[in-house]
Amino acid sequence: MSYDKPLPRINADNQAFWEGCRMHELRFQQCKGCGHVRWPPSDRCPRCHCTETRRLISKGIGRVYTFAVYHVAYHPGFAGDLPYTVAVVALDEGPHLLTNIVGCRPEQVVCDMPVEVAWEDVVDRITLPKFRPLSSAEGLG
Amino acid sequence: MQHAVGVLESGLCRYVLISYGHNALSGDSMRRMLMELSGDDAVFGHFGATGGYALAARRAMHEFGTGPETWKKIAVGQRKWANLNPAAMMFGKPMTEADYDKARWVVEPLRLPDNCLITDGGRAIIVTSLERARDLKQPPAVIMGMGQDHPSTAVAQSDWMAGPTGARKAGETALAMAGIRLDEVDACEIYDCFTYTVEITLQDYGFFKPGEGRDWLQGGTIEPGGSMPVNTSGGQLSEAYFMGLTPIAEGAMQIMGRCGKRQLGPETRTKSPEIIMISDNGGILESHSCILLRRW
Amino acid sequence: MTSLLRDKYAVVGVGYTAQGRVPGRTSLSFHLEASANAIKDAGLDKDDVDGFICYRQFPADSNENALTPAMIAQHLGIAPTYISQDAN
Repeated sequence: MSYDKPLPRINADNQAFWEGCRMHELRFQQCKGCGHVRWPPSDRCPRCHCTETRRLISKGIGRVYTFAVYHVAYHPGFAGDLPYTVAVVALDEGPHLLTNIVGCRPEQVVCDMPVEVAWEDVVDRITLPKFRPLSSAEGLG
Repeated sequence: MQHAVGVLESGLCRYVLISYGHNALSGDSMRRMLMELSGDDAVFGHFGATGGYALAARRAMHEFGTGPETWKKIAVGQRKWANLNPAAMMFGKPMTEADYDKARWVVEPLRLPDNCLITDGGRAIIVTSLERARDLKQPPAVIMGMGQDHPSTAVAQSDWMAGPTGARKAGETALAMAGIRLDEVDACEIYDCFTYTVEITLQDYGFFKPGEGRDWLQGGTIEPGGSMPVNTSGGQLSEAYFMGLTPIAEGAMQIMGRCGKRQLGPETRTKSPEIIMISDNGGILESHSCILLRRW
Repeated sequence: MTSLLRDKYAVVGVGYTAQGRVPGRTSLSFHLEASANAIKDAGLDKDDVDGFICYRQFPADSNENALTPAMIAQHLGIAPTYISQDAN
């Protein structure tokens, strides 16, 4: 069955991130000027306007900052998933990533719950970083 | 509004018209709007304002213990005002707290009555100097104070979605400009895209401390007969959605004394309004604007 | 903004339209009805209006042109000295 959900729109700013996802790597820009790890990706650091970055690969571990449980499908591709959980995951390295929580029921999700990345290869060339409950408490920063 | 005052003050104009119109309910633009405004969040099934405010509301539940018990007081209270307003979309459709509890989830923790309406229609206002206003037909609703604050961070990256939002600084700025204290405000018209928006705005303005909204709302505080009426047309939850012009127009009409059965004062067993505090929001708590209107 | 602006300006007119479920109408028509009613409510003539700010606009219907403040001004028959589309 073909994948019928929206796909990311790759552009000059986010290309490195989505290429990383294909390799199952969460790649972020870390500012060479001030060390700030930024998300979403952009041309310059919002803190110091430095344009130089180094690649930071996240360990893919963080906590659920907040979440919402969809009971309505605003796009037909999600109708079969209801109810599903959208969450903001605060990664240990700093960025807040909008994602889905998978591998548990919506009612099991709570704020500050530890989670780890769960890669989902959806189509050729596109892999989505979703998150699931952390299998053990080890590895939390 | 601050924009209108800016061009009036600079002498560019004498009478500024501010207008909004949308065939949002009967037209076909809403679905496209959801897709256009969602960007790559749509990849994860995250769409539009309900989802964004649901994220904010959930974090607020976690941080200061709010939740549906607080929000239903807002939804039910505003519905009572709508039932005094024949033009309101929810006129003749009363709602009890039990009705709220039974309502379906849209994006949990928000239920259908936590969401604003989708409306066909429009709204417009005219702003001019008080000097010119003296020669015009209506009693003026005088702009006493204004303030804005624009945290300008998408909700997913925000770490203040449970407050203080832009309402804190915008409210303080407006009160300082007006030279008044919060307890001199007689009523509020709050941008109410969602019930949680009303709670966090009133909280950030300083009407109650974080998490104390539920107690503050007890006993019909914001309802007809209450000590701090809020969203007296029914608001966007129960009257009609015209962006910031729903609250601004109602604030002006209340100050002008033209609100019929919902008029603040003896008609609704409330204080006659000398000063009304009004809010507008942009994005998902990305942008906040506060206006204080007074009777002259 | 300074407190010099306190009590210097006022809302002097409000324009309403049919509202709720009102099928068979364009977004433009609601702008025009609300604007004309606000001008009338204030006791002004349309030619008095020399500033026009159009609220930020959601996308138009697929069978309707995207709304701009200039388009609305044209249909109101006004030629303001200042025009803008605003966020707040």
